[in-house]
Amino acid sequence: MKIRVVTMGRHYHETEGLPEFLELQEAASLDDAIDRLGELLSPGASFPGSCLIAVSGKHVGTIASHSAVSLGDGDELMLLAPVAGG
Amino acid sequence: MNLSPAEQERYSRQLGAGVLSEEAQLNLRRSTALVTRVGGMGGPAALMLTMAGVGRVIIAHGGDLISPDLNRQVLGSEAVIDRPRAPHFADYLRSMNRFVEVDYVDHEPSDSEALELACKSNIVLSCPPTFEERLRLNRAATKAGVPLIDAAQWGMTGTMMVVRAGLTACLQCVYPQPPPFEEFFPVVGAISSAIGSLAALEAIKILSGTGNPLFGKMLTYDGFQGRVTTMELTRTEACPCCGGL
Ligand SMILES: [Zn+2]
Repeated sequence: MKIRVVTMGRHYHETEGLPEFLELQEAASLDDAIDRLGELLSPGASFPGSCLIAVSGKHVGTIASHSAVSLGDGDELMLLAPVAGG
Repeated sequence: MNLSPAEQERYSRQLGAGVLSEEAQLNLRRSTALVTRVGGMGGPAALMLTMAGVGRVIIAHGGDLISPDLNRQVLGSEAVIDRPRAPHFADYLRSMNRFVEVDYVDHEPSDSEALELACKSNIVLSCPPTFEERLRLNRAATKAGVPLIDAAQWGMTGTMMVVRAGLTACLQCVYPQPPPFEEFFPVVGAISSAIGSLAALEAIKILSGTGNPLFGKMLTYDGFQGRVTTMELTRTEACPCCGGL
């Protein structure tokens, strides 16, 4: 199956090399997808624990703490590194 | 009480079908909005609330204006550099609408001050640079029982979430631990104004009773990639801020 990957937020330029679509095994979990994406980041880079996760528009927690989710073909996985600013 | 002829003239472009009814405009006039802080996003937000006719706008911001602020802080000007932001920004807001009362606090509110200010307000707009301040405003709005709009930015991207504690996820449900603070974050002023103005629009909708506010949602605006999305936020049952509500 194939999911779409959207990254944004703080230091968004560091994830520009990630693919827009990710091929995964059938019934892959959210953690499988995060692990795969982590492997594709630059050496030494990782997603921050506070990074928000949404699956097809529904917020499911953070990298550090999220609910177990099974992904389906066509899902959109959004990873959002929190921003503040002022 | 009705709008005066002068108020009807001032707001004539925002009164009517698809925008505000006269009753909605009166609701705005009866309202108080707290905006803290009033830099890149809070400044345009406070300006739009003032120009829209929110009866009382309270702004909070410490320190003096510095030159790098002027890529995004629309309430400032060259003449205000090295001068305290809050009183000058309040003067500018007053100059934009004689029908609105503008008060200022010249520092970042403490826990107790934030609660006191939230209790005087009908809505809180959270636009500070640190998550500690944002979570403080979230706690204050939750205790005061008023909605909170959180606006945030980085680079060419921004987020905005609209909270009604007890009914929707609050800021602490979404950020259980304060994410890292970055003092010298990059930002283009155009995204600051866009996010600040969208926060003001949500506040105007909520205060006036118009349209469908984005309660329980986070709007993300990725100006770098040209992408706008909406995320449905999930409450945390054990949230220390809103868990018992
Ligand atoms: Zn909460």
